[in-house]
Order: sequence, then C-alpha cells, then structure tokens
Amino acid sequence: MAFLAPLFFLGLAALAVPVLIHLTQREKKMVQQFPSLMFVRRIPYQTVRRRKIRDLALLLVRLTALALIIGAFARPFLWRPDAATAIGPGAREVVVLIDQSYSMAYGDRWDRAKAAARDAINALGPSDRGSVVLFSSGADIALRSTAERDRLVASFATATPTPAATRYGPALKVAGSILAESPLPRREVILVSDFQRNGWRGEEGSRLPAGSIVTPVLIGGPTDKPDAAVTSVSLARSTFSNQERVTVTAAVANRTDTPVANDSLTLEIAGRGIQTEPLNVGANGSASVAFAPFTVPSRNMRVSVRAGSDALATDNVFHFVISPVAPVRVIVVDPGTRAGGGLYLTRALSIGDAPHFDTVLRQPANLSDDDLRRASVVLLNDVDVPLALGRRLGRFVQDGGGLFVAAGPKATWPQEADVLPASLSQPIDRSRGESGRVGALEYGHPVFEIFRAPRSGDFSSARFYSYRSVTALPASQVLARFDAGTPALVERKLGGGRVLLWASTLDLSWSDLPLKPVFLPFIHRTMVHLASYTEPAPWLTIGQVFDPAAASAKAQATGRLALTPSGRRLPLEDEGSQAQVLELTEQGFYEIRGQKANSDVTVIASNVDPAESDMTPLDPAEIVAAATGNTGANAQATNSDVPLTPQAQERSQRLWWYLLCAGIVLLGADTLFSNWLSKT
Amino acid sequence: MSLAAGHNQGAIPGARFMDPSVLARIGNLELVARAVVDGFINGMHKAPYFGASVDFAEHRGYVPGDDVRRIDWKLWARTDRYYVKEYEAESNSNFSVLLDVSKSMNYGSGAITKLDYAKILTACLTNLVHHQRDRVGLVTFDDDVVNFVPSSAKHMEVVLHTLENVKAGRPGSLKKPLQKLAEHFGRRGVLVVISDFYEEPDAVIDAIAPLRFRGNDLIVFHVLDKAELDFGFTDASAFEDIETGEQMPVVPDAFRKEYQSLVRAHLDALQQRFSANRVDYTVLDTSKPLDHALYRYLSSRSRMMKVR
Repeated sequence: MAFLAPLFFLGLAALAVPVLIHLTQREKKMVQQFPSLMFVRRIPYQTVRRRKIRDLALLLVRLTALALIIGAFARPFLWRPDAATAIGPGAREVVVLIDQSYSMAYGDRWDRAKAAARDAINALGPSDRGSVVLFSSGADIALRSTAERDRLVASFATATPTPAATRYGPALKVAGSILAESPLPRREVILVSDFQRNGWRGEEGSRLPAGSIVTPVLIGGPTDKPDAAVTSVSLARSTFSNQERVTVTAAVANRTDTPVANDSLTLEIAGRGIQTEPLNVGANGSASVAFAPFTVPSRNMRVSVRAGSDALATDNVFHFVISPVAPVRVIVVDPGTRAGGGLYLTRALSIGDAPHFDTVLRQPANLSDDDLRRASVVLLNDVDVPLALGRRLGRFVQDGGGLFVAAGPKATWPQEADVLPASLSQPIDRSRGESGRVGALEYGHPVFEIFRAPRSGDFSSARFYSYRSVTALPASQVLARFDAGTPALVERKLGGGRVLLWASTLDLSWSDLPLKPVFLPFIHRTMVHLASYTEPAPWLTIGQVFDPAAASAKAQATGRLALTPSGRRLPLEDEGSQAQVLELTEQGFYEIRGQKANSDVTVIASNVDPAESDMTPLDPAEIVAAATGNTGANAQATNSDVPLTPQAQERSQRLWWYLLCAGIVLLGADTLFSNWLSKT
Repeated sequence: MSLAAGHNQGAIPGARFMDPSVLARIGNLELVARAVVDGFINGMHKAPYFGASVDFAEHRGYVPGDDVRRIDWKLWARTDRYYVKEYEAESNSNFSVLLDVSKSMNYGSGAITKLDYAKILTACLTNLVHHQRDRVGLVTFDDDVVNFVPSSAKHMEVVLHTLENVKAGRPGSLKKPLQKLAEHFGRRGVLVVISDFYEEPDAVIDAIAPLRFRGNDLIVFHVLDKAELDFGFTDASAFEDIETGEQMPVVPDAFRKEYQSLVRAHLDALQQRFSANRVDYTVLDTSKPLDHALYRYLSSRSRMMKVR
C-alpha cells in the first residue's frame, strides 16, 4: 500500500479533538450547585476523569469516519511495480494528432507527416486503441478510439492540407476529451506537426488528463525552397472621366531562407490575367508591387493577385472583391414654400465620399414610386404629409428604407398611417427668454457615437427658438431631448427599416443648428444609420464568419444560398428558415445569391491566413510542458517498458473513492446513532 | 381540604397530609402550619397519648418533710399507710427549635429547598406544641446564632414571623452556636435541632450532646434533599460547593455508588452515635410529606413519657 499524498496523514492529529472533547469539554460545560463536596471530595477524581468515556461506540464511529476521510485524501493505492508488464503494451490509448494546416503543404512535409502517423499507428500493440484527429484552426476526429489499425491509417490516407492556419489548442482539447473518456490506464498523444510558432498561443486550457504522455513528431526541416506569399493588397480609388478607377498594390513576403528571384506577379480580373509584373524578394524579406489602375465598371469584380509557383502554392494567391463605391441615395422632400428651406441640408449631403450621398430634391406631390425604389433614405423637411404619401412611406420603411422626418411648423402626419415614432403636438415657442438647447444625447446610439469623446462636438451650443412638442410611443427610443425634457430625436424600427423624427427644423427658421459644426456629421451619421450603410470588406480570411443578413438588409431575405469556391452549394437557412452565418473554409470567391435568376448577388473573397506562411518553429517541449504539466520528461517516454506511474496506478484503482464513501456513510450513521442515544 | 395534594396512607392510616412542594407555594407559614397540624390531629384525635398536660404519675411513701396536703387520704383509708401523690413535673414545658440556616440549607433539586422544608416543619411543630399550651421558641444559626426567640406561650406569632424572614446567607458550623445555646437552655425543655449536618459524625455529636446536659429532651431532624441521598445526576459537570464556592469536575455515573455508600455510612454513624447519646434522630427527605416528621416527634414524646 502506498499513498500519493501522505502528508494528509498529518490530519490524523485531528482525531485527538473528539477524544479531548469527550474527556475534558463535557466536564466543563456546566456548573452544578451542590450543598457540600464533603463526600465528593473523598472520591478519587483523576482516575475517574481519565477512565470515563461515555458512549465509546459513538466515539469510535466518529474517529473511524475521520480516519477514513483522511485516508481518502492521502490517495492510497496498491503499489504494483510490474503493472506495466501485467497490463501489456495493448493497454494504451493513443491519439494521433496530424497537423493539416496549409503550411504542411510546403515541400514534402505532408507526405512525411502521414508517414509518421502511419508509423505511430503501426506501433500500436494488440490491446492498444488509437484515434486520429486532423487539425488546423479547428480539430476533426477522423476516427475515434479503435484497435483497427487499417481503419486508422485509412482515415487520413486521402486527406490533404487545408487552407486554414495552425491552432494547437483545439486539437489538444479534443485529444484530452478522448483520453479522459478512455478506460485504459496508459494515455498518449502523438503530435505530428511542423510546430509553427504562430499556431501556439499559450496553454489555452489544453491540459491533458494527468499521467498523459505527449510525443511530438516534428515534421520540419530547412526552409531552403523559396516561398513568395501575397499577404495583402491596398486599393487606391480615383475618378477619371466620371469613371472610378482602382490602383492595386500587393504586398509580398518571403519568409524562407532562399530568395525569390525572377518570379512574376500577375493581376487577374475574373480569372483572366491583365497585368504581370516581375517579382524579386530577398530571403526573409518583403516587397510591394503596384499595378496600373483599372476601371471599375460593375459591382463584385473578382480580382486576384497571383505569384508564380513555388514550394508552397497556397499562399501565392490573394483574392479580393472590388465594387464601385455605392452612394447612399437620399430623397429630400421639401415643399419649397420657404426660401432656403433645404439649403443647409442639401449642402451638407453634397459633401463627403465615404460614403457619397446621392441627393435628389422632390416636392411631396412629385415623389414617385420609382424614386422610393431607388432611395435608401427619404428625408421629409417640414412636410404636410397626406394619407396616401404616408402609407407609401410606411411601405418604404417596411421594405428596409430609412425615413427622416424634420417636424417644423407645417409638418403633419396622417394618424391613419402608423409610421412615426412619436405623436406631433403644438410648437413650443422658446424665442422669448432663454432659448432651448439639446440637453441629453444617447451617446451609445450609432448616430451620436462619434460625439461621445470630449471636444468631438457640442450640441448644446445650438439654440432652438421653437420646436414641436412630441410624445414618444412606447416602442420607440428617445435619442435626444431638449433641456425641457421633451424628446428632440426619436427612433422607431418598423419592419426592415427605421424612422427618425426630429422635433425641429433643419434650417435657420427655428434654430441655428445648421450653422454649428455638429450639423454636418449629425446629418451624415443620421443618413448612414437610416440607410444601414456598411463599408464592404474587399476580402475576409478563412475561419471568419460572414453574416449575409447583415451585409444586405434590403436584399432578398429568404431562400438564399452560398456557392463555395469549390462549387458546393450551401443553403443559408436551416429547417426553421432561420438565417445562418457562413463560415469561410475555402480559399477563393464565395457567391451568395437568391434562388431567383435576377436576385441580388454578393461576392466574398476568402484568403488564407498570411501568418501561416511564417514557418518559424517553436520548441515542441513548450507544448508538451503546457499539455502535461511536465517539462519535457514525458516527451521521451514513448515505449511500453516504462512501468505505470503511481498517479496512473492510483487513478486506475480509485481506492480513495471507496474510503470517502465509507467515511460519509459512517458520518451518516453517527448522526442516526447520536440522535438515538440522545433520545434514550 | 382543598389544599390536599394527596393521601399518605402508609404512615398513619386515615391521615391526610400535604406535599411539601405544595406547601412551599403558600407564603403564610401560620396557615401552612395550621393546615398541616389540623389535618394531622384530625387523623390522630383518638390517640391515647394526646390529652391533658397535667397527669398523675405515681405514689410514693410519705417521708417526714413532705407536704401533708399531697398525702392520698383515700389510699390511706384502704391501706392504712401514708402515700404521697406525684404528678408530671412540667405540665407546661419549653419547646425550642434550633434551625440551621447555613447556605447549604438553601439547596433544593426539586420544588422546595431544604430550608423551606425545615421552616414548614418548624412551623408545624411549633403550632402543634402551641396547641398543647407549651411555650415555644426559635433559634436560627449558621456559624453563629442568627435569631433568638425565647420560649414563651405568647411567642407563637413571633416565631412564625421570624421564620418568614429567615434567609440562608453564610456558611455554617455546629459547634460554636450550639455551645452558646447549651449554656443558655438552663431550664428543662424540648429542643428540636434541624440541620443537614455536613460535618463529621463525631463533630456533630460533640456539638449536639451538650444540649442534653441540662436535662433537655433532644430531637434531631437531619434534612436532606433527594439528590443528596441518591446522587441522581446524569451529566458530567463541575460541582460547586454552595458554601465555599469550591469546584470539582464530577462524572456522576462514576461517583454515584461510592457517594451513596459514603452518605449511607455517614447517616449510619450519626444514627449510631445519636442513639448512644439517647438523642432521637430522624432523617428527612424533602421530597417526602411532613407526616413522617410529625409522627416521629409525637411518638418520641410518647416514648419518653412512658419511660418516665
């Protein structure tokens, strides 16, 4: 019998506590008055005190329970030096982790990795069980805990490196879960990888069960073959002859010890090379290559920058999507009865190119359905809205459009059309006495977020001589209030769009806000928010997720599917018609479209993680130490002659569990016993 | 009697006496004493030794010098000899109770303390004797004389009032106060000593015996609580001497047998020594009714009368 934690036996000293309590404490707990100790004094006290323990059985039960619990904490086990021999080599649980990241495609690394995995599986004994886990940024169990070696080998025979990057954490977690569920006493992980430093971000909670062995198999070697990796591109837009042009500059890195010489870099649009530039990059160096500008005639232009073939082809190409900058179409509906009524507004909207606002001025009576179909935002500048127009605008908002209502003195809204976030009341005249100010802003809202920082815009400097008294509806949100507490800006979400109600004018008739510096960013942010405008990303990286619903709010909401670079069709809705996000797993262009032929199409460029092309290795012992808690000693312990560790033997016997249960049962019996004694 | 707590038919058939714990709740000792004694007398009204206090004792031959008025002429007529009539010497005797009021008497494991029991007993005896037109008195003592009420036919109320106000306050001893009293009780009478006698038997006898030297009739009541007799405690505790404050850890289960044997030996020693000194000695358990004590007293008086 041996113990893993014999120091716990110091706790046996605690057994003296109940004995002392029985012997001493009980005598002192109560004072009994007595007429005379004349006779008591004649009875020898010492012998009585030492001898007399009442309820000896109860005391013994308690002491035994405590001793059992202490024994359980000491983790006892029956020491058997020949345990390994008795169990034999077949009693191993071996998990083979094979790095499948794209850096394994460098040279012959993948072939060597598969060969190493095969060797590890062939070394399994008849009683051993093996699992194969292929990992890159995630981990997939190819085959779980089987003794059939042929199936284990076959599980990765046809596998190829993926375009994903290396992450050791998920792989070790999967291995840990397999080992933890294994009943076999010996547990081992064989990690076949090129051990890139970029793949290890610390322990990440990837500690294996105690006693596990990690055997790293390094598939490395010299990086003596050049590898040109296109790591990113920059896009410079310009306008020439009313046409938008883009200049692409590609960044190329060579992280090998051999320079890239006399190579070429090609710019491809829609798969066709349009320009080729020479490429020379020094060893462990980088270079940038600029291409001639080209016109962007249409949306979703698929552009790639591709280097020549080298030892690692995966990182030779970089994809991105170019579209003409889409303006935010704003229709300013102005009755035109007041000179300069929409002047400040249209001037403000004419400034800016990120995004660019395409502003159209319309009379209320001239607002056509075609205008509404093209527009992202409709701005009603103090308009008396008839019922028909109100209903049309309501449908416009329901379909995802944005509506901004500036409520000046003439603004009305038909009650039958439930669109506005608040009900309009009479104007409040603040021209006498102190003028009104905007007192409280909801800085967490996207409209006012840019004014959150100090000295980034002061709304309180604007004076309001009049404003409309409005009462916000329960479903709406008040974004700004005047100093008197009445709402200044109220928002309501309606269907796929939003409605903002501004309780004053956007000209100088009721306030001097248009003269203040905050006016321009306020109008811009308001229009961007109402239009749900987001800057489209030219490319994403494998492993990222793409939310189609967020990308195109006005696009067809149902029945969409994604076409992957490899040609697979992925529905973007589950059975409950709930929209799903798209996880990028392939390199190339994803296409998201509706099922109808003329539906809106979104193209996404997906690139490999450029960090994976940096093949700087780390010391495998670092991972071994983090996964096992040992400093590399287990890394060398690979064969079956090593006897079981005390921890492994203790874990397999689990005597502590029985001792603890017995102790707890005895404590329960003690409770019943003492209750019975106290009643008798 | 509405206050009757029960019947004790084992002591005297037909008599009804009161439980001491019930009597203790009655504050008026006079009422208590009257209730007990009346009940006791009702049960004993035909007793042959209860009646006149001046009784004919015997005849003896006339000797010159005797008062000729005491010659029994009827007997002379029958026998032609001179005989003189002799009567009980003291038809109205002195009766005093010597009550121990030391702190140890203030102990009671039940509803009544030893002192309360002794006070009721004193009141009852005093009331009983007062009915006989005897003179009653009271002495309380601890390590000295505390109260002294001289014997008098008019002191019944004073005795009861003194009893009412008696408090046990100081440690006690027998020798010093009883020596003083022995010198004081010059005239023959009946002395009743009530105490718990926590002293060695020889010391008790040394203290008590001088009270008899002047011809007093001595009756000793040894009052003890039930717990003092059987030591029926269960939990181990620190036992504290009421008089000295001394504490001792005690495991009652282990002490009980030895303690009981020590107490029994003590009582036997006292019994033996009091008998040798012709002192009537009775052990009273405060959990028992008072009839035992009263009966003991009266039978003692009867026996002494017969001896004469």
